[in-house]
Amino acid sequence: MAPKIGKGKGKTGKGSKGADESSIARYVKVWSTWTMKRAKVVAHYGFIPLIILIGMNSDPKPHFSQLLSPV
Amino acid sequence: MGSSISYAAAPPPPPPPANLSQHPVGLGVLLPSKTEEKIEKKVDWRNLPCPLPFEEIQREALMSLKPELFEGLRFDFTKGLNQKFSLSHSVFMGSMEVPSQSSDTIKVPTSHYEFGANFLDPKLMLVGRVLTDGRLNARVKCDLTDNLTLKVNAQLTNEPHFSQGMFNFDYKGSDFRTQFQIGNNAFYGANYIQSVAPNLSLGSEVFWLGHQRKSGIGFAARYNTEKMVATGQVASTGVVALSYVQKVSEKVSLASDFMYNQTTRDVTASFGYDYILRQCRLRGKIDSNGVVSSFLEERLNMGVNFILSAEVDHRKKDYKFGFGMTVGE
Repeated sequence: MAPKIGKGKGKTGKGSKGADESSIARYVKVWSTWTMKRAKVVAHYGFIPLIILIGMNSDPKPHFSQLLSPV
Repeated sequence: MGSSISYAAAPPPPPPPANLSQHPVGLGVLLPSKTEEKIEKKVDWRNLPCPLPFEEIQREALMSLKPELFEGLRFDFTKGLNQKFSLSHSVFMGSMEVPSQSSDTIKVPTSHYEFGANFLDPKLMLVGRVLTDGRLNARVKCDLTDNLTLKVNAQLTNEPHFSQGMFNFDYKGSDFRTQFQIGNNAFYGANYIQSVAPNLSLGSEVFWLGHQRKSGIGFAARYNTEKMVATGQVASTGVVALSYVQKVSEKVSLASDFMYNQTTRDVTASFGYDYILRQCRLRGKIDSNGVVSSFLEERLNMGVNFILSAEVDHRKKDYKFGFGMTVGE
């Protein structure tokens, strides 16, 4: 009786651990896809402004009007 | 005199440093200097030069044989705000070829304006180009340490699932280079190139495509002297590519290229020339597919370049002519 109950408990324990592992893997996959989508949007809109920001702050500092004028 | 004779009479096994300085003086008197030139330069097998990166192994052939041919009008304006920072405006009006299943070429008239920003630092390079339809081309090159470089290359679009990106990690050793690539669609690749002689370098690459479960391996070799470069590449995808470039003089290079694709049974050979003159650069090429092309960049003034491009495909009866101007460095 006791060993059977132990076996049963062991089985359910393993089953719940398996479900946890697959749900953790699923959770990581969903979270990483969400991050990549957000990162892609950020990169798409923010890359050129980032270059302009870094460039305007480099030495010698160019003037803001030089950004827009053609000369 | 006396000291050198007594030294020669009793040669010590490890010469003390004070007497060692007398040796070259004595030999310089005995041997004439001309024989030093006849003595061949010994190969220092421990100090081989660093090879070119694996993807640039055919660099000379690609530069001479594959200029950016276009059809229509092209105007590029680059404005430098700084030594390191510059903005670029580019207008293109013409036809772009759309790949089609049949042998007919389908041309679609397109026009776009492209705005770009470049930041060039010895340690960090950022290049971004955005088009009117929202497509972004981004290139980042960052030196993390002296030998390790991170390169990112991305094309981002507004349409979902059409964006592409690739991360490259490059490590440069004293006589080898290695690179590891991660791309979208679960693409993983690695390549390694090693100098085995002062003029010869050998390399290999492997890649794995996750979504299509395809993998491949390839080998490459490059032999170059001051006057010529010969490269060969073989891949398990069934592609063999050979190239040979001969530098005839400072201003003239001749190049030839051979490509064989076993899966599509495609064979292409091309011969081309590259004239780099004071005021212009002229590149011409003839192909085994019956394509004759030419590309001229003429320097009209300081910073003003005039560009002419022509590609005549006799087999498909496709004629492409383009002209343009580039202002700025």
